[in-house]
Order: sequence, then structure tokens, then C-alpha cells
Amino acid sequence: MLAVRCRPSSFCSLRRVLLKHHVRAEKAPTGRAPLFHTSTRVAKAGVNDTLIGKYIAVKDNIVTADQPTIASSRILDGYTSPFDATVVKQLRAAGAAISSKASLDEFGMGSHSQTAFEGAVRSPFTRNGEALSPGGSSGGSAVAVVDKSAWAALGTDTGGSVRLPAAYCGVVGFKPSYGRLSRWGVIQYANSLDTVGVLAGSVADAESVFEKLDHHDARDPTSLPATVRKRLMPCNKEKPGPLRIGIPREYNISELTPPVHDTWISALSALRSAGHTLVPVSLPTTRQALSAYYVLAPAEASSNLAKYDGIRYGQRTPGSDASPAEGLPLYAKTRGEGFGEEVRQRILLGAYALSSEAIDNYFIQAQKVRRLVQRDFDRVFIARNPLIEPTEMPELEGVAAVDILITPTAPTLPPTIAELKRQTSVESYMLDVFTVPASLAGLPAISVPVPLSPALGDSMDKHDVRSVGIQILGQFGTDSLVLHAAKVLEGIYARP
Amino acid sequence: MSVPSVRLRSLKALPALYTRPGYTTRPCYVSKWLQSRGLQVSTAPPPNAVPLRKHLKDEAKRKKADAKAGTGLRRDNAVTARLQKWELTVGIEVHAELNSACKLFSSATAASGDSTAVPNSNVAAFDAALPGAQPQFQVATLLPALRAAVALGCDIQRKSGWDRKHYFHWDQPNGYQITQYYQPFAKDGAIRLSAEDGVPEEDLLGGRSLLIGIKQIQMEQDTAKTTHHPPSSYHIDYNRSGHPLIEIITLPHIHSPQTAAAVVRKLQSVLKAVDACTTGMELGGLRADVNVSVRQRGTIGSSSYSGVAGLGQRTEIKNLSSFKAVEDAIVAERDRQISVLEAGGIIAGETRGWSLGSTETTRLRGKEGEVDYRYMPDADLPPLIIGNDLIDHLRDRLPELPDTTVERVQREYGVTEKDARTIVALDDGDRLEYMEATVELLQPRLLDVDDLKLGKLAGNWVLHELGGFLTANNLCWSDLKIYPIDLADIIAYLTRGEITSRTAKQLLEYSNDDSTSRRVGDLIYDLGLLLRPLSDDEYTELARTIMDENPGMVAAVKEKGQKGKIMWFVGQMVRRGEEGTIEPGKAKEVVERMLAE
Repeated sequence: MLAVRCRPSSFCSLRRVLLKHHVRAEKAPTGRAPLFHTSTRVAKAGVNDTLIGKYIAVKDNIVTADQPTIASSRILDGYTSPFDATVVKQLRAAGAAISSKASLDEFGMGSHSQTAFEGAVRSPFTRNGEALSPGGSSGGSAVAVVDKSAWAALGTDTGGSVRLPAAYCGVVGFKPSYGRLSRWGVIQYANSLDTVGVLAGSVADAESVFEKLDHHDARDPTSLPATVRKRLMPCNKEKPGPLRIGIPREYNISELTPPVHDTWISALSALRSAGHTLVPVSLPTTRQALSAYYVLAPAEASSNLAKYDGIRYGQRTPGSDASPAEGLPLYAKTRGEGFGEEVRQRILLGAYALSSEAIDNYFIQAQKVRRLVQRDFDRVFIARNPLIEPTEMPELEGVAAVDILITPTAPTLPPTIAELKRQTSVESYMLDVFTVPASLAGLPAISVPVPLSPALGDSMDKHDVRSVGIQILGQFGTDSLVLHAAKVLEGIYARP
Repeated sequence: MSVPSVRLRSLKALPALYTRPGYTTRPCYVSKWLQSRGLQVSTAPPPNAVPLRKHLKDEAKRKKADAKAGTGLRRDNAVTARLQKWELTVGIEVHAELNSACKLFSSATAASGDSTAVPNSNVAAFDAALPGAQPQFQVATLLPALRAAVALGCDIQRKSGWDRKHYFHWDQPNGYQITQYYQPFAKDGAIRLSAEDGVPEEDLLGGRSLLIGIKQIQMEQDTAKTTHHPPSSYHIDYNRSGHPLIEIITLPHIHSPQTAAAVVRKLQSVLKAVDACTTGMELGGLRADVNVSVRQRGTIGSSSYSGVAGLGQRTEIKNLSSFKAVEDAIVAERDRQISVLEAGGIIAGETRGWSLGSTETTRLRGKEGEVDYRYMPDADLPPLIIGNDLIDHLRDRLPELPDTTVERVQREYGVTEKDARTIVALDDGDRLEYMEATVELLQPRLLDVDDLKLGKLAGNWVLHELGGFLTANNLCWSDLKIYPIDLADIIAYLTRGEITSRTAKQLLEYSNDDSTSRRVGDLIYDLGLLLRPLSDDEYTELARTIMDENPGMVAAVKEKGQKGKIMWFVGQMVRRGEEGTIEPGKAKEVVERMLAE
């Protein structure tokens, strides 16, 4: 059941949101006068005003001091953080109002936003009357943008969790380079991969939110320091001329469905017609990347989620914390009841991957694959990776070097909820094959909705999403270039 | 342990105490909120729990019974014979709380030694493992750790890293401890010990001193403090959670329980001397784990630890919190292992515990129950890079180490090594400071006496006379109200022959009396304590009187030749003579002369 408490208010959009069951809005935005008080503050600070008065939904694994934050998990039931996450603070300072806390897959673990403790997120789209997956784990954030209850939304992307729901809901989803947006106050799932991202109706809107948040934060030890940010400046310059666009061969997989394949090809040919250069490239570690991700992310999750013991906050099973009679370790009952099935499964996987008998074959191997994935990218991007010593950089692919890569975001259109139920875990993990490499390498990536060809689109249910998420990847730190390319792609399909 | 437990009511009444005067703590939202939750865990009551008092009583009873049975002596011989056959090997891990103003990964006040701090008042978001909180390495905590590593002769690593050690316990809010498992910040040090440190002769193998290798030193987080409220609940105080610790790991170079205790004592004194730690074992600032193995002398065991091969299977005894516990636990574990092996058994690699007053270690968990800590690099924390300039700076400003101080005290003040060690070790260095002040004050008072002699005099008084005075009056050092200037006056009067040594000792009592603020010189004049030398005749007359009253004693000396009785007469004369008039040397001369007649 959905636990919703709502202050009587005139926010009808909010009401609509609640009815649609994709967010858990405990409170109306501190709404009486966000416009008034923020505008005075902004006037003082003298910053530009794109976010003033805008409603922004925040994924419920980003803490807010004025509303509960439970990461859609029973184990955090009733928890309200005593502090705001840095990104929330930055949004408030920029004049935005936090409209709601958006549901997710419990702790961000999932691709369809169906595992939330407070209830599954429902996509506004249907196919022949059947509910579609909104994508995950930032499904609530994507839906908030689609139904316009929020102007933009914050999500988090660990292995595709911003890009996939953006693709499934037909909105823009941007995952910046790791370290550009602060993670202070973002509930960790796999902290070496977790990245705050932005979902919005257009690339420009996503960019304006990103710009407000793109600052060093001393509270986050992985936030890029000013010195590194300065080094990023050269590749941050928007490239005015034609782009060299790479097409990775390894992304043309057998699981790729015809609508996605065709839309990808048509987007590429439209770009070529617009004067950009297409270059086939090779990223040989793509397949192994997915396996490595599903070792590393659960390993870090098993560690990051060890803090949920019910003692200091959240759900706690009454009775003894120890259960020696059942031969179970400390907190087994609280953790067994507090976590959902997928989370329990990933904790167990991760604990095994780190155990002394398995760490060499799993965790260490996966770290090596992660490094190879990064080298794959360093070999094809013209921009050099600012995090790698120049002497350790792999040789550039010469003629094949590119500015950006363009791939599909996911191999299929959103499946129906009924189809999901027939999927095994491994099949559902497969969906992340295109998004995970950028996460492992910490690269900026954006999913832009590209409409299906008129022929294909017309043959589909008009309540279907009828667009395909196309992903643009860039070298570490070239976030502006990626956003620029996304605008180019978006512009091709803009309605006149 | 007198750890304040978490009690909700009293805390709500004391909001002003969330921050303590003199410390700059942020008004701590975490603490307020922790307190509102009432931190408590409960477990099933332990099976067959024996209350501590009863346990101690039983142990005392058993010891008494053993003594009665007269097993003591026979046992000693048996032990000696055993030790000729078996060789003990010990390695130690010492956990020491660093002297630091803040925690390792948060700016919360590190006041764990302060038992007056309100429980759960010095807690930042990360220390309570709040969702979304991240660690922020506090560079200041590195300084005491580096001072310790430099003092222990370690190679400081330019690059080291942070790892998570996972296990569930209620004193561990994150479910893991951040430590330096894969890359510690300091490696390959050593500590030198001599007989004066408590190393038995046979461990020195004829040498002057013994070098115990230090494998590594790592920084890590301390745990929360818990108090057990029987039968099955524990109260948690996160004030200590995240306090910076160093763990010092020695090589298995130790071969006797006494040396093991000496190593821990020595480590404590070095850590205190360089200001790396402030609280010692007595206050829980230092804890030790020991690993113990035995093998028959002349044989080669099949186990290898820290690169030392050929050892016997070892067991680990955890959480020893006094020097005596270190020594006693090793004795007990050594004897247990030998007994098991002599009976044809084998030693299992396991973790054992030791409790106060017991004679045996107890099995806590075996290998199969061993926790797999799943060590993983902490992805939130960048590697720790330490520059050579910082190390050089600290090395140049390192405070004097205890051994160097002992050498200096011997050299400058002419006291014996034993006395020098005692003075340096006593009262956290206060005793030494007192002595140095006394010597300085003596110099202008006794211009014709050379400095070495003054040092020796002052050393003798500060150590033995003041020590005796405190013991006799059942006082401790902090009760002393005699200032160095008083002592210098007393020594000066005595040395100039203006008072007797009996008077000098009496003056200690007068000076320590609260009710008088009179200086030593005034006391001597006011109380008429100045030595008024008697003439030969007066000495003779007094001696004669005593001899007449005690013909038996006279006969004992004269007829039975019991020379010792002469001193009895001297004592009588000092007692009978008017205060401050009898010099024992002179009296002895007179008595000897008269009794020889």
C-alpha cells in the first residue's frame, strides 16, 4: 500500500501525481511562497534565474530535511534526515522548490522501479492496455517529468538508473561525469559508481539544472576538486564544427530489437546528413563490463548497506537483536524483514564476491575489467582522460578517434509489467548492457528521446511511448560536449 | 567501567551540555536525534552467565585451596622443567587512542577519555552512520600517528590507503571499521628494551638490550562504547565511535610473558613521550591482543606468521587491558598449550578470551566461527599521501624519548640508571620536572657543591625520601604540597650541617601541612630545629644515663660481643636528646668509645 500523507493544498498537479502512484509526496512544497522568498535571495546572490520557482522532484535516495527519505525501503521506514543533501541545498539556493520525493527501486537496485516498499511506480504509457515499465531505478523521477508534476527531477545513476527510465518514459536523462555533482546526502548503493543525474523535458532544461549543481563540495571526498575542474576546462569548450561520432560495433547485439535498431540507424544517418562524421569503433570489453558491474555493484552494496541495523533509525524488528538459538547472526531478523528480495539477493552476491575465498576470482577480476573498460574508451576518444597520467594513456586509435559515441540506451522498448514478471534476474540485468560501461569508467552520458519512424510509430498504440532513448557518451569531464551533441540530436527531431 | 549509559530523561533536561565549554563543537543535530531514539540493543541472555563478583570469589577460593595443598613449590619446579623443553613465541597488537581534537573522519570532538561528556553528544552524521553521510579524513589526526611511527623507527609510506573491515556489532554503526589493511602508513620499525624495562635476564641472551621488530602501524577508527545492563541489554555511546586509533603490530619476536608486558609498557611510555597518546592502559586508552604459540626447543614448527617461519600453531587472546593481564594471559595460554601438546593433542587456531583474575584462557571462537572481514578498499576515501617534508619536520621536533631522557638524567645528575628510570617513569614525568627544579634551586644555595653531587642529592630526596614520606602517610604524588623550593631549603640546611637528617625528615611533614604557609627557614627558627651541637661531655653524660638504666644491653655488647646493640644506644640517644641536638655519627663514636672501656 502506498503511504501518502498530504497537507491540504491547492496543488492539483501534486494531487494528480499522488493518484498516479509514482511519488511519495509527504508534504506539499514549502509552497506558500517559494517564489517570493527565493527571488529575494537570488537577487542578492546575483545568479541567473532559470530555476526560480521551478518544481523539481528529487529521487527518494537523496536526503531532505523537511520530508522523509526512505530510499523506497522498509528498513528506512519513517526516517527523516536531519540534513539536506548538498544537491538539494543547491537547488533550494537557486530558487527551486522540491515538489516531491520520487520513488525508486529499493536503494536504486533495479531497472523497472517495481520494488519500492511504498508500491511500484506506474508508467503513464501503456501498450494495448497493458502497463509498461517506467524504467528504473529513477522511475519516479522520470514519471514526474513526463506528467509535468515537476519541471525537472534529480535521479541517481549507478549503472544506468537515470538513462534507462528516461529512455522508457521519453524524456532526457543526463548522467554527468563521476565527481562533478556532490554525493553528500545521497544514500549509497555502489559508491564508486553512484552519480547524481538530471531528468528533464529538454536537453537545455537538464543542462540548466546541471550547471547549478556542478561545483566542488568539500563534504564529498569524491567531489572533483577545483584543481581538476580547471584541468577539465579545455575539453569543456563546446565544439562548434561537425562532430566525429563513433559507433561501437559491440553494441550491435542480437538482443537489439528492430524498432531500437532502426531508430539508432536513422538517427545516425540524420546526423551524417547534417554534416557530422560517422566512425565505426571497437570497445572490446563491452560484454565483460556487464559481468564486472554485477560483481562490483553488489560488493559495494553489501558494504554500504551494512549500516542498516535498525538501531539508530528506521525499521527494527522487535525482540532480541541477536538470534543465537536460530544460529543467525546479529540483526538477522531486522535486516531480513527490512530489505526486499532484490536487495537481499544483491547483498548476498556482494558479500560472497568479497569473501576471502572468492575475492580474487570475482572482486579483483572485476576491478581489472573495469580498468580495461576505461582503456577501451581512452583509446577512442580524442579528448584525453584527465584522471590518467599521460604516460599511462593507451595509444589513440588514430583515424578512428572520435568526439563522442552514439548508441541506443537500452536494447528494447519498455517491456510490459506482465513481461517483466516472466523475466529471470539475469535477463533483466541484460538491459543494462549499454549503460554500464559509462558508469564503470565514470563518463558523462545522456539519453535523448528520438521518435520512432512515422511508419513504425503510427502502427503502435498511441498510448505507447513511441520513442527510443539514444545515448551519447563522451570522455571523462567533457560533459558540455555531450550536452552540446545532445542538443544537436534533439534539434534534428524538434517539431518545426 | 564507569561508562555513563544512555538515559533519555536526564539528557533532555541538559540541552546546554551538548556542547562543552572550551570545545568548538557544532550544535549537534545528530546527538539530539540519537538521544531521542534511546540507543539500546538487546540480546538473548547469555547461557550460564556467572556474575563477576561470584567469579572473582570462586577464583580466590580456588587459589587458596591450591596454596593449601602445597602445590606451589612443586609446581614451580615443574614449570621450570617445562620451559626448558618448550619455547614460547608471542606477537602483540596494541591499539592506542591518538591524542587528537577531532575524530578520524569527522570534525566532531574526540573526547572519549572524558567520562563527563554527555553520552552521544560528540557525534557527527558520519559517526552515527546516517544515510548519505560520507567520511572526511581529518588531516590533524595524522600528526600524532606520524609522531608515534617516527619514534618507533618506522618507514613512513608515501602512499597508503583506507579499507573497510566488515562485521556486525552494536559498537560499529557502519557495519564496518575503516582501517589500513592492504596499505598501512608505517612499516618496519623496532623497539629496544633492556633489563630495566622488565626483560628477564634469559631473554637478553647476554646482551645489553633486545630489539623487538614492529611489522606495521595502521590508523583506524575506534568503536562506540557499550555498557552491559544485565541480563541482556546494552547501552551505546557513540562519543568514541570514530575516534582515531593506531594499531601497532609487533613481529613474533617475544619469548617470555614478562618481555611481552615490558613491550606494552615501553610502547605506552614512548607513545606518551611523543604526545601520540594521552591516556594509558589504566584508562582504557590502550588495549592489546596477543598471539601465542609454543614449540619444542630445537624443533621447527609448521606455521609461519608475519614472515617468521617454523613456529607452532598460534592462538589469539583479545582485548587485554592491563600489563598484568598481558603477562598472566600469556602464562596461562602457554601452559595450556604445552599441556595439550604433551597430552598428544593439537592446538587449534582460535580466538580466546581472558578475564580478570582467572588462571585460564577461554575459547571464544574457533576457525570455523572466524569472521570473514571481507576487506575492501573504501571507494569514498582517496589514498593518503604523506610528503617527506612533513616527516622531516616532525622528526626534527620530536620530543625526547624516555631512553634518551634516562641517559641524560644519569649524565647530568649523576644518579644510577635504576633511579633515573624510576624518576623518568614516575607520575607522567612530573617527578623528573620536580627534581630538575630542585637542582636548579639548590645551585645558588650550595655554591661550593658540584652539580653532579647536587643532582645525586636531589635525586635521592625526590625519589626515596619523598617517596617514603608519601608511602608512610598513605598519600599520592598529587597530594604533595611541598614545593621544590621547600625541598631545596631542607637539603641545603642539611648539607651545610645546620640540621640533623631526622629534623630534615620532620620538616617534610611540617611543609606538607596545609595549615602553615611558613617557609622552611622560618619553620626551623620558629620551632628551634637548628642543630645546637652538644659538647663531648654532654654526649658522654647522656650515654652514661642510658647505659646505667640498661645494664643488660651493656653486658650484651661487652660480654657477648653483640656489636649490633651499639646502634640501639645511638637510637636511644637521638630519641632522648633534645630535638635537633644529637648527630647519630657523633653519638655512635661516643657509645663505641665508652663501651670499649
